[in-house]
Amino acid sequence: MNHFQGPAGGGPVVHDAHSLPVDDNVNPYAFSVDLKGEWFLQKGKMIAYYGRIDFQGLGAGPLDRLVAANFHSPLHTSDWVVASGQGRMVLADRAFDVNSYDLTDGNLTIRSGNLLAFQPGLALKQSIVPGFLTLLGTGKFIASSNGPVHFVEPPLRVDPQALVGWADCPSPCHHYDHGYLRGVMGGIRQLTGLGGVSGEEHQYEFAGAGTVLLQSSETVVPVVDGPSGAGQQAAAHGPAGMQLPGQLGDLQRRFGL
Amino acid sequence: MAGDAVKARNGSMVAYDGRMSFKKMTGGGEGLRGMVTRRITGEQMEVMEVAGHGTCWFADRASEVNLVRLNGEKLFVEASNLLCAEASLRTGTSFTGLRGASQGNGLFTTTVEGHGRAALLSDGPAVVLRVSHGMPLQVDPGAYVAHTGDLRQQFQTGISWRTAVGEGSGESFQIRFEGEGLVYVQPSERNTIGGQL
Repeated sequence: MNHFQGPAGGGPVVHDAHSLPVDDNVNPYAFSVDLKGEWFLQKGKMIAYYGRIDFQGLGAGPLDRLVAANFHSPLHTSDWVVASGQGRMVLADRAFDVNSYDLTDGNLTIRSGNLLAFQPGLALKQSIVPGFLTLLGTGKFIASSNGPVHFVEPPLRVDPQALVGWADCPSPCHHYDHGYLRGVMGGIRQLTGLGGVSGEEHQYEFAGAGTVLLQSSETVVPVVDGPSGAGQQAAAHGPAGMQLPGQLGDLQRRFGL
Repeated sequence: MAGDAVKARNGSMVAYDGRMSFKKMTGGGEGLRGMVTRRITGEQMEVMEVAGHGTCWFADRASEVNLVRLNGEKLFVEASNLLCAEASLRTGTSFTGLRGASQGNGLFTTTVEGHGRAALLSDGPAVVLRVSHGMPLQVDPGAYVAHTGDLRQQFQTGISWRTAVGEGSGESFQIRFEGEGLVYVQPSERNTIGGQL
């Protein structure tokens, strides 16, 4: 009998190494991984672990083969680590909703800030859509979202900020709603900005067969620049938390500038 | 609340019914010695005493609130994570060593002991993890909120030459807990110095 209990009756559940769920959510915001072997993680998403687990940057020598087989995104190399060993680890991302998804010989493209971790059965590739990553293969991955995720089938148009990712369907295209720019009033709006806009003039359009993942908020999960980096500042300054390809941020970070 | 008192962080009251009085407690209500200790250690805690009859609601920036019941044990918590505690609980300051420094919270922490309940703040609902003999737990300093029980903390690092060239793992620092007790972890990481390495 242990006397270190939470509040009596309806208190929080106390977890230990054996009672932590196996590859399942602890609560909507934390996920427990039963690690036997290796997992890829985004830096700074591990909050606690039991057992013997090592964390190594992707540049580390012993991981060369694993990285060569499963990681094809030089842009994000410095944001990812490999956890290897035995134990249970708890992952979380800035108190955003966290969920796991199983992919069976499939392909899924996801916003790079939303992806937390994936099994080496999957290969990570940089999508040709900037700011997105594609996962190919079979395995489990963990993604965060601002609010619960909804699965929708094309054809549909979605708000760019609400898009988390898509599976099995071709890449989306832009759709601009120019209807509001017609006529005399529309012309005035276009020239002067007077009259305002609805904020829904721009959408992503999906066609074909597949699944689209949407989050229930129009605030993008910002890309982290390290746990204390510019990602959170970007979140404070607006939804445009994406880092554009070609920016020096990654290199500067790598050289410690 | 029926005639008894609660210590709460200054300005955290959002609503109450019944009759309440709010009194600022200088130096965390720990007397002159406590006041001096807090001043020296920098573990400042602005608290007020709320007394009266009725219900009083406390909240802080929509952070998650977690209740902890103490039966004589000692709870170690950062002053910034403590929302309120029953007046039957004594608060104090204690030395944490490197662990505190790694969290950017200074070298000292707040202790709460006695019988009663305390409310902790966390970013997202805290996960409670048990530590027992032969089952040590490693926690990221940025996600640590509080712990109770007889736990030894040990600071472990995985820094190598790789860290220096920017190929660090981002998980270089952990607090290792051994012994018997509970650790409260939040599903989010604070900004820490060690977090980027």
